[in-house]
Amino acid sequence: MKTESENLSAQQSLEIITSMIAQAQGKFQKNVFYFLLWGWVVAIANIGMYTLIKLNYPYPYVAWAITIPAWIWSMYHGFRQSRDRSPSTHFDVVSGALWIGFGVVVFTLVAFGGKINYQLNPVILLFSAVPTCASGVILRFRPLIFGGVLFWVFGIVCFLVPYEFQFIAGAVAIVCGYLIPGYLLKSHQPEKHVQ
Amino acid sequence: MFNDLDPLLHSQLRLAVMSLLISVQSAEFTFLKEKTNSTAGNLSVQLDKLQEAGYITIEKTFKGKKPLTTCKITTAGMKAFETYVDTLKQYINKPL
Repeated sequence: MKTESENLSAQQSLEIITSMIAQAQGKFQKNVFYFLLWGWVVAIANIGMYTLIKLNYPYPYVAWAITIPAWIWSMYHGFRQSRDRSPSTHFDVVSGALWIGFGVVVFTLVAFGGKINYQLNPVILLFSAVPTCASGVILRFRPLIFGGVLFWVFGIVCFLVPYEFQFIAGAVAIVCGYLIPGYLLKSHQPEKHVQ
Repeated sequence: MFNDLDPLLHSQLRLAVMSLLISVQSAEFTFLKEKTNSTAGNLSVQLDKLQEAGYITIEKTFKGKKPLTTCKITTAGMKAFETYVDTLKQYINKPL
C-alpha cells in the first residue's frame, strides 16, 4: 500500500475506509458459534424436560445437565479465541459484557430458583430478550432484534400457560431467537454489515 | 482539490491504519501489516507519524520472549478521523 496523497480521490478514500472497517470486522462470524451452540443446547434441554415431564419421570430437570458440557465447551472456545492474534472489535467487548452479565443473572436465578417457586422459564426468557435485542441493534441485524422481541413475547406466554408447556414455549423461543438468526448471521458476509 | 482534508490522513496507508484502529479496541503491528498489505518498514514510519500527531498511541511490550507492538487510536485521532470523513462527504455531495 502506498503512502502518497496526491492522487487519492474522495471515492478511493471512501473505499479504503469501508474495506478496512470490513476487514476489522472479519471475525464477526466467530460469535455465531455461541448462538448456534446455545440455541441447540437450550432447545434440546427444553424439549427433553417437556418429554420427561410427560413420561412422569421423577427428575425431569436432569435434561438441563446438557448445559454443563456446553459451558465447558463455551469456556474452552472463549479461551482459544482470546489467544487469537486478531484484535477485539467494539462489538466483541460490548457483547461479551452483555452475555457475561446475562450468565451471572441466570446462575443467580437457578441458585435461588426455590424463592420464586422454580418459575425460571418466563424470567430467563425475559432476560434473554435484552442481550439478544442489544446484539441485534449493535450488529444492525434485524433477525436478531426480532429474536429478542420474540423472547419477550414467549416470556409473557410462559406466564400464561401451564408449567409443562413453558418448555415448549422456551424451545420455540430459542429456535426463533437464537438458531434462526444464528444461521442467517452465519450465511451473511461481513461486508454486508458495513453501512 | 482536497485542500481541507487532513494531509496526515489523506494517504492510503495512514488512512487504512486509522480505519482499522477506529473499528477495534487495539491492534497488534502484525495485524495492521497483514490487513494493509504493507511492508514493516513503511508501516513503522507511518505509525510514527500518526503517533507524533497524537492520533494513536504505540505500546511496546513482550509476549513471552517476542516483542509486541500494540497500537490504539486516541480521542484526538477519533476526532480527526470523524472530521476527515465529514469533509470527504462534503466533497462527494458537492454538485458538479
